[in-house]
Amino acid sequence: MLNGAFAVFKREMKIMLRYPSWFIPMLIWPVIFPLGYLFTAKALSGTGNTSLAQFQNFAGTTDYTTYMLIGTTIWMWINSMLWTFGSSLRVEQVRGTLESNWLCPIPKVSLLIGYSLFQILISFVFIVVSVLEFKIFFNFEFIGNPLLAFLIIIVSIPAVYGLGFVFASLVMWAKEANSMVFMVRGIMTIFCGITYPLEVLPNWMRNISEFIPMTHSINALRRVISSGAVLVDIKREIYILIISGAILMTLGMIAFNYTQNKVKETGTLGHY
Amino acid sequence: MKNYAIEVKNLRKEFEKKEKVPFWKKKNNKKEVFVAVDNISFNVEKGEIFGFLGPNGAGKTTTIKMISTLLMPTSGNIKVNGIDVVEKPTEVLKNLGTVLAGERSTYWKLTGRENLEYFAAMNGIRGKEAEEKINYLLNRFNLEKRADETVEKYSTGMKQRVALAKALIADPKILILDEPTSGLDPQSARNLRELILEIKEEGRTILLTTHYMEEADELSDRIAIIDHGKIIAMDTPENLKNNLEDTNAILLELNNWNEDILNEIKSIPKIKNVNSKYSEDTRKWKVKVHMENGNNGVNDLIAGISSTHTKIMNFKVEEATLEDVFINLTGKSLRE
Repeated sequence: MLNGAFAVFKREMKIMLRYPSWFIPMLIWPVIFPLGYLFTAKALSGTGNTSLAQFQNFAGTTDYTTYMLIGTTIWMWINSMLWTFGSSLRVEQVRGTLESNWLCPIPKVSLLIGYSLFQILISFVFIVVSVLEFKIFFNFEFIGNPLLAFLIIIVSIPAVYGLGFVFASLVMWAKEANSMVFMVRGIMTIFCGITYPLEVLPNWMRNISEFIPMTHSINALRRVISSGAVLVDIKREIYILIISGAILMTLGMIAFNYTQNKVKETGTLGHY
Repeated sequence: MKNYAIEVKNLRKEFEKKEKVPFWKKKNNKKEVFVAVDNISFNVEKGEIFGFLGPNGAGKTTTIKMISTLLMPTSGNIKVNGIDVVEKPTEVLKNLGTVLAGERSTYWKLTGRENLEYFAAMNGIRGKEAEEKINYLLNRFNLEKRADETVEKYSTGMKQRVALAKALIADPKILILDEPTSGLDPQSARNLRELILEIKEEGRTILLTTHYMEEADELSDRIAIIDHGKIIAMDTPENLKNNLEDTNAILLELNNWNEDILNEIKSIPKIKNVNSKYSEDTRKWKVKVHMENGNNGVNDLIAGISSTHTKIMNFKVEEATLEDVFINLTGKSLRE
């Protein structure tokens, strides 16, 4: 299985390096995307930053720039994962290569594992570029331990890509990604506290937020980066991320196997 | 018991027909089914080229997709080298090389060599072994000079050769080719047919689908003619054509064609089938008539056409082809 996954990883790397224009949006997007939120926050905080005390009351910090940058970075990571990894099988279907891959004597899930390895690498490059740019343009400061922040990203990976497995399977079946990307992204924007503390949400919405793993990734990253929290302080979030990762990965595998059987039955594997 | 390369027994595939009606307008929940493959059985012997001949939509591709594990049969059994395709699909794939949908089955943004490297790795072949096999196949399929260019720059014939090389990368004993020359220019198609015969000479079994009768005739040791999901004839090309010994295939060129002429021809007792087609090149009607051998049949035909004041511009009695076999069995042309 891993040999197949590694072959997919290498293939995607070759295709990507052949068309290097992908790097330009990766440079621009981390700076442009948060600006709208940051200017809104600046306007609302007043000229003398009069509202910051209120913000600190909910968020535990007055540094709303770092607060928002963490939220928007995770949002951009999920967004990119949904568009690229989530649509990966669909892209193969459209270019006519999915059946060729299905004809190889390997477990078919190797394809998604290979894609996810490739996407994880791209995501790390994206996060590193983002942090460097935040440092240059927004005076982004790490109060806590960067290695702990890295650990949070690592333990978030199974949940993020478990969601991606479910998503990729559904897109291969439904043959359309847009509406589902907008729905998942919309839910995340509202419920995960990308730009605001969850304390401002009504109780019923906060209860829903608790069930979304990305809420806990963002929360843990904010506490480590902005408030200097240590491992013990964020162990609840770490446990939740590990458990939700295991659940979402299992669901992803079930969705993939179900879709695999369904398309074999209906003959829609190669349809585009 | 004979050991076949491919054994297909009572194979059937049904697809659910999708109604394009909103759910609130549906009158009942009864699901309609379309039978793409209807209870077919055949065996492919080791080392032979077995042709699957039929018009588009006859069930050829559905059948080979079931053999190559891409599609689940509704009922029936398929064995490849004695291995059941439903029970052990991965084992079956180790015995098969398949080219489906030709040129679209490779990565156009990768080079020919990179494509072969990728599919070698996906078949568990790596390192020195992979390198040797790739160089051999690139050389054999005359791709080595442009092996390091991206496939998108290749001609359709070259893309098809890459797809064939890809199917042979794991050295399978059985090769499945779905419409291998479709979309190729005549020279590339001829070259590819020569390659297919060479591959057969290596001792491989080939199952190919085609709707080109000349191709099926030239390449196949045995042919199954399929129409509406059913095998309607299966034999060697010679035997299939010999069955038409008592039938004349007459090709006429007429300056006109209408219902009256058709009825006049059909009223002649020994006529079996009549097929007409307008030729843009010659601006005449080409009419193919199958009639039983016998005295006065041809005279009756000429007299019948002349009685409708239609000019016969050309008249030819032809040797039977597989097209004639198909028309004789179904009453329609392969290209309809």
